[in-house]
Amino acid sequence: MLYEVRHRTTYRYAARAAFSQHLLRLTPRDTDCQRVLDSRIDITPRVEPMATQQDLFGNTEHVATMTRAHDELTITAVSRVERQDPSQFIFEAGAPWERVRDQVLGHGNMPPVPEAAPFVFPSAMTGGNGDILDYSVKSLRPGRPLLAAAAELCARIHRDFEYEPGSTGADTHPRDSFAARRGVCQDFAHVMLACLRSLRVPARYVSGYLRTVPPQGQERLQGADASHAWVSVWDPVFAWVDFDPTNDVVPGLDHITLAWGRDFRDVSPVSGLVVGSGSQALSVGVDVIPLSAIPA
Amino acid sequence: MASPGAATAEESRLVPRPRPGVFNEALGPDGATRPHWRGFLDWLAALGTEGRAATARDLERSRAESGIAFSAREHADAAADPLPVILSAQDWAALEAGVIQRARLAEAVLADLYGPNRLLAEGVLPPGMVYGTDAFAAHCAGWQSPPQRYLYVYEADVARTAEGEWICLADRLDTPLGDGWLIANRIASSQCFAQPFLDLGIRRVASHYARFQELLDSLTGWEGRLGLLTRGEGDPRFFSHAYLARYLNAALVEPGDVTVREGAAFVKTLDGLKKIDVLLRGAPDRAVDALHRQAEALPGAPALSLAARSGALVIGNAIGVSVMAHRALAPYAHLLTERLLGEDLKMPDAPCLWMGEDAARETVLADRTPWSVEPLNRRAMVADRTHLADDAALAAALARRPERYVALRIPRLADTPVLRGRQLASAPWMMRVFACWIGDGWSVAPAGVAAEIAQDPDPAAGGGGRVPALGFGKDVWVIGDREDAPSGPSVSLLADRLATGHLRRTGRDLLSRVADEVFWLGRNAERAEATLRLLDVCLRRYLSGNRIDADPVLLVDLVSLRVADRADLSPAQRFRDAVSRLVNDEAEPFGLPAILAALSAGALRARLSISEEGWRYIDRLSSDRRWGEGLDLRRSADLMRLLEESIRNLAAFSGAAQDNLTRNFAWRFLEMGRRIERGKEIARLARRLAGEEYEDEESRLRAWLTLSDSTSAYRNRYMMVPRVAAVLDLLVLDETNPRALAYQLVQLEAVLADLPRDGPYRRAEHRLALSLVTELRMLDADAMAETTDTGTRARLVRLMRRCESDLAEIADRIARSYFAHAEVPVALAHAGRSAEPEDKADDPGA
Repeated sequence: MLYEVRHRTTYRYAARAAFSQHLLRLTPRDTDCQRVLDSRIDITPRVEPMATQQDLFGNTEHVATMTRAHDELTITAVSRVERQDPSQFIFEAGAPWERVRDQVLGHGNMPPVPEAAPFVFPSAMTGGNGDILDYSVKSLRPGRPLLAAAAELCARIHRDFEYEPGSTGADTHPRDSFAARRGVCQDFAHVMLACLRSLRVPARYVSGYLRTVPPQGQERLQGADASHAWVSVWDPVFAWVDFDPTNDVVPGLDHITLAWGRDFRDVSPVSGLVVGSGSQALSVGVDVIPLSAIPA
Repeated sequence: MASPGAATAEESRLVPRPRPGVFNEALGPDGATRPHWRGFLDWLAALGTEGRAATARDLERSRAESGIAFSAREHADAAADPLPVILSAQDWAALEAGVIQRARLAEAVLADLYGPNRLLAEGVLPPGMVYGTDAFAAHCAGWQSPPQRYLYVYEADVARTAEGEWICLADRLDTPLGDGWLIANRIASSQCFAQPFLDLGIRRVASHYARFQELLDSLTGWEGRLGLLTRGEGDPRFFSHAYLARYLNAALVEPGDVTVREGAAFVKTLDGLKKIDVLLRGAPDRAVDALHRQAEALPGAPALSLAARSGALVIGNAIGVSVMAHRALAPYAHLLTERLLGEDLKMPDAPCLWMGEDAARETVLADRTPWSVEPLNRRAMVADRTHLADDAALAAALARRPERYVALRIPRLADTPVLRGRQLASAPWMMRVFACWIGDGWSVAPAGVAAEIAQDPDPAAGGGGRVPALGFGKDVWVIGDREDAPSGPSVSLLADRLATGHLRRTGRDLLSRVADEVFWLGRNAERAEATLRLLDVCLRRYLSGNRIDADPVLLVDLVSLRVADRADLSPAQRFRDAVSRLVNDEAEPFGLPAILAALSAGALRARLSISEEGWRYIDRLSSDRRWGEGLDLRRSADLMRLLEESIRNLAAFSGAAQDNLTRNFAWRFLEMGRRIERGKEIARLARRLAGEEYEDEESRLRAWLTLSDSTSAYRNRYMMVPRVAAVLDLLVLDETNPRALAYQLVQLEAVLADLPRDGPYRRAEHRLALSLVTELRMLDADAMAETTDTGTRARLVRLMRRCESDLAEIADRIARSYFAHAEVPVALAHAGRSAEPEDKADDPGA
């Protein structure tokens, strides 16, 4: 599938802002089943030349700085991305979760896994508690292949949690959304990460998009109107395998990967600071438009 | 000095015999004085009991005056022990080598973790040591061009074991910069122990800091700027930051003073943004990047890592060093030293187990007694240990987040002499040492600050105790190595730099925030004076019993100049109530509690810009305990005395500001704040006391003259009872009377004329002041005193109202013109979501 993704963020300020600075993670990344054909970011009014850098996890970051007075700022990212179906995984063939854990913790005599190491431990937004641990061990039973257990966990979260926009915020901790059993994609992902990491299983937070308009005859996936989030679990045989607990699917042709990190804070698509703005209003619009089906 | 033979008898009585099996700094195992302590103990013995007590008092006073005690006021429980710890040249050499090796080790580990990451890839360090806590700064890892160095300053807590070996208790990498304490403490102790200090040839610290200064100069270049980043006066280290900034000639900046744009860091000054090249970091690394660690960033923090990443800013120490701070090196120090430096570890750590290892965790849970469980790499002083308080909570915390903790056991430590009342005793001790990178290696300040550690004297207890967070006060003396070449003439760094004219004149570099603070200090000092004088006048009249002056209605009228009147009470009650509220009610905007609190906070924040003497007057005034005693009319004599003293202190502050402040920008903003506030007050008084023809006009005018401290000026000039026109002339129009409105306006205009402006024209605030000055000059007193048919002085009232509102407008415009930079950034809402309250710190015990 070939997509064009448009992601527009607009800030409106009550007072004229004297200065603002923005950290953008709006450039999709290449993966095994995704190729970025082109990607650009436009900001109005004009800002100073942007700084571009890669973060530790390989995501592209842009830093935009606005030093003139302004009462509105619009950031538009437009990318064309080619997406292919991921290879099929046989979850039951993966390694038992305890073995994965021992390997990433550096126990036993297994080779270290530096690329998975940052994603093993609870982060600021993926801390667990006793209830989350109890919930987790119901799927991560002794000797269970990790990927099979993760797929089950993903399905349970989808089943047990209510998708309810507005019930949580960007800084809602999974302990709270877990207790309330509701939230949006970000909360679903954080809860699943909290479950996995409370057992020291390596898993990362993936931010991205869903195609907005479903193929004919199919239901519209939830979370399509804004940027989306899901989880990726590391297995020694299959490497990173994605799970979308919001929709209980393994992300495929409909998912476009933007960035990944330990939690939302590492990959928040647009964040920043402002001087003298008074109160702020924020609006975000995401369009994911299929351009054509690329024959395999 | 006494001869060695005679001294021994004295000493043996002075210091009790060493505890068996415990190394004693001053005494050998046989009880004989070690050679490098002999001179000092002889001197102490010769002082006698009284002399020793007097010296201890001197030292305490000297420390208090330097301000060390101030910063520790709320943090240290007791006065520090006065006796220095004396180390021989050989002792020091071993310690110094160990400290330098650890600094090199920490640097090598950091360079690997944030660079090629071999330690993890090769399985030398377990991932949990690095990623298990939130100290690792992911946004500073994997840079294409990493910083040249991570560490420029290194501090360590070290101790000597009962067996006499040096061990390390903690590596302090994140916000070291405790050097200010070291230097200030050294100055105090070398003055009070001047004779032995000089006779023994104790090594000085000035040349160590001179070398650090040279390095900093080479990093900033001739034109560059050096800053020291502090969280501000709320930080217990603020004293040290301020002291060190002054010593190194660095600008003391807070996070909100810095902005990052175009890949470089700038400080916000009155003259616009100025590039800053080197920043010594006294604020925690997790709190200084508002873009990448928004949730943890201090208010106003810039995106500091961007400037470091582009190479335009050197941060010492780099962001991210806290991952190896505190105890994080300890569990793997031996292994890492061999691996990274190819050497044997010279100074081992106190026994330390990382709880991320199952076996270690089980050891500690099985027998917790000897172990102290602490966060792996959080500074001990900020760590909240409540969730480790009981065994169940500890077990839960260790089960959920084992990677975050270590168990530390402080072994039995060596003793050093301490003064206990009139007696000398021995007690276990530890010290903090300070090292700086000097370009081609590390230099360790040949000194330290030491503290006693409370340990169970029973050898079976095996040591224990806890490193104090603050309250280090024992100086550590290192005997100079006579074989060594003398380290040059003993010059103080400050004196040297003054002599060579190296000090940059800070003039226009005044930070916008500081200008703002000084401006408000001037305003608040004036507000305090107005309220104090009003209370003073009212109380005198009340106590005089004079029928006219003490008329309750008039008194209420007077006191309601500063406080809202409560009409529901009788006049006498109203007066008592108003006085009590002015003295005691924190909610009264012009009441003393609010003004004095603002004054005290402002003076503290602006302390570096006003003279030390000036600061002390304000401190004395606002921290007087009697304010909290609920004084009111029932204890009028006590209240009168306090008012008088306070007015005197304020006058002394003004005098100190006039005499001791160079007429730089700080002085100008203080002056403007003061003139604006006093001008507004005079205008208000004129309106309220002479705005109409009152029956008791004479009494009112006398009150005004007294409030303005101009009674004798009036008498000298007019030798008669007050008349309106004459009083208006003296207190409104007279440009030579420092208490007159015209004087305030003329002074204000003069200062405004000297401030920088953007173009050829006068700024709006300057024009406003000029127009007020001109307006007053066109008037005469008789015209102002004219009344209308209804008995009001409409012209006076109108003019005074205009003065009040124009002065307020000038204050606003000054703020907009000069302090606008001081405004700090706030976080933007996250994409797609409405901003929600902050996430609580992740507490594993919760």
